[in-house]
Amino acid sequence: MSISTQMKTRRSLIPIALTLVAVVLALVLKSHLPGGELRAVATIFMFIALSQAWNIIGGFTGYASFGQVVFFGMGGYFTAVVMLKWNFSFWLALVLSGCFAALFAILIGQPLLKLKGHYFAIATLGVAEGMREVVINLPDLTGGGAGISVPIAGKFAKTQYLGDGGFYLLFLALAIFALGIGTLVSRNKFGYGLRAIHQNEDAAAAVGINTVRSKVMAYALSAFITGIVGASYVFQQITIFPERLFDVEITVLMIMMVVIGGSGTVLGPLVGALGLQFVSEYLRQHFTNAHTFILGGIIIVAVILIPQGAVNYLREGRRTKDYSLLTNIRKYRL
Amino acid sequence: MSDVPLLETRGLTRRFGSFDAVSDVSFSVGKGEILGVIGPNGAGKSTFINLVSGHLKPTKGRVLIDGKDMTGAAAWDVARAGVARTFQIVKPFNGMTVRENIAVGILYERHGTNRLSVALELAEEILAEVGLAGSGDRMPGELSTADIRRLEFAKALASKPRLLLLDEVMAGLRPTEIGPSLELILKLKQRGTTVIVVEHVMKAIVAVSDRVLVLAQGKVLMQGDPHEVLADPRVIEVYLGHRYAKRQKGDS
Repeated sequence: MSISTQMKTRRSLIPIALTLVAVVLALVLKSHLPGGELRAVATIFMFIALSQAWNIIGGFTGYASFGQVVFFGMGGYFTAVVMLKWNFSFWLALVLSGCFAALFAILIGQPLLKLKGHYFAIATLGVAEGMREVVINLPDLTGGGAGISVPIAGKFAKTQYLGDGGFYLLFLALAIFALGIGTLVSRNKFGYGLRAIHQNEDAAAAVGINTVRSKVMAYALSAFITGIVGASYVFQQITIFPERLFDVEITVLMIMMVVIGGSGTVLGPLVGALGLQFVSEYLRQHFTNAHTFILGGIIIVAVILIPQGAVNYLREGRRTKDYSLLTNIRKYRL
Repeated sequence: MSDVPLLETRGLTRRFGSFDAVSDVSFSVGKGEILGVIGPNGAGKSTFINLVSGHLKPTKGRVLIDGKDMTGAAAWDVARAGVARTFQIVKPFNGMTVRENIAVGILYERHGTNRLSVALELAEEILAEVGLAGSGDRMPGELSTADIRRLEFAKALASKPRLLLLDEVMAGLRPTEIGPSLELILKLKQRGTTVIVVEHVMKAIVAVSDRVLVLAQGKVLMQGDPHEVLADPRVIEVYLGHRYAKRQKGDS
């Protein structure tokens, strides 16, 4: 084995080792945290998974989906309806809701992914807003604006409620699953095709990449992950409402995490999700009155100084041996 | 079936509004042939390349690749039929290293590997071939104009094409930098690759082409032996105006 192959092998083992350490830490943490804290950490896991999902379409492929929450909501409502009306087990509902979201992505992806930049962003936002109204206006199926509850105990519930510890593990598993998919995409043929599409679709097509199919597949994959996360969220929350499940804020959080951490990388959304959640939690505890104001300020400064995201900034710095923020602003702003 | 031309167009026409950018172009290129395409600005050369590569759909006419009708096929299907191209306005994948730029083409080539590590290694050979050895880790944005053109060329080679469409790969190069590109084109010919070279650099066209096709106002003005074509008064006229052509005639 040559030195360079050895180095490559070692390099590819590092993330696996780190993941194992993180999982062990998360499991140790589980037995030490009280219920409320468990729920807070589970939310962080949830956003790790969501930001990875957004990164596939928004980061790798370069299609900023501003309506990503539609897959979260549809996955969630699908699960609620099949558990309540047809007595499905949660686990079956989970998988099916991912497929349901992916199928919907394939359907709307055909026309929407022909749009570029702002047009795509606005169109997807419109789909999400529209779908919320559809859900509100189908009260017989979805409970409408009054919400819907999933059965969690007794003989009507095929799957018993998982509890704080159970959901902690479920969202941990979803985060690992999403990180695994992200890692796979970042290193395989499909992912390279997406990155090429991001840079230039004509040039990508010229080397034999079916740009239409690749984009739709990326959208569907991203929707699948978002859908199963939405399904899990619904089971955790028990009772859900359209306003919450199609809340544009969920999309905004996903995008912010990816952009601040570094889009188009696997580490970036992870760093972004962890960073944003911790900073926001810290501010909430120490500056009760002004925490959102301060958080907004931090985000604005971060985006101005390192518009490419923390991970991309550090990688470029390592490559060019120049970590100057001034150089960075010049490169990306001027 | 070796007498089937690798590329044949029949009455190829592309209309933009009321303007025929390419009008009724019929010709064929045999296997292993190098065809030079020249013509003044706006003659329809790039539109013609786009019609063959599938980046534009023809208004009328047919495109046959190795006898197979590929009229109106998607660009990726044309690519997978063995046609690679460069763009006059270069289109590197800017967010990827030079090596990765090539690896994408290798991964999606019709007989290509699915393994990224293999593709990244194979990319080195192609980089060496175009004179970019050692630049694999750099980003396209850091390359010189000449090297960007080389990268554009290398990206097309990564697809291991049967038919290579070169849309002004030598534009902006210094005379000393043109030599290696010409050698590379001739080397490709030896390997049996068919090449269509669209170029403004006449010296380059004459040096490599087996045959030259002249486009003017979207139509085929004439085609034939490079030296004869370039000496033809009609060709001189479309490039330099009829008064200049008349004077040339008077002189000789």
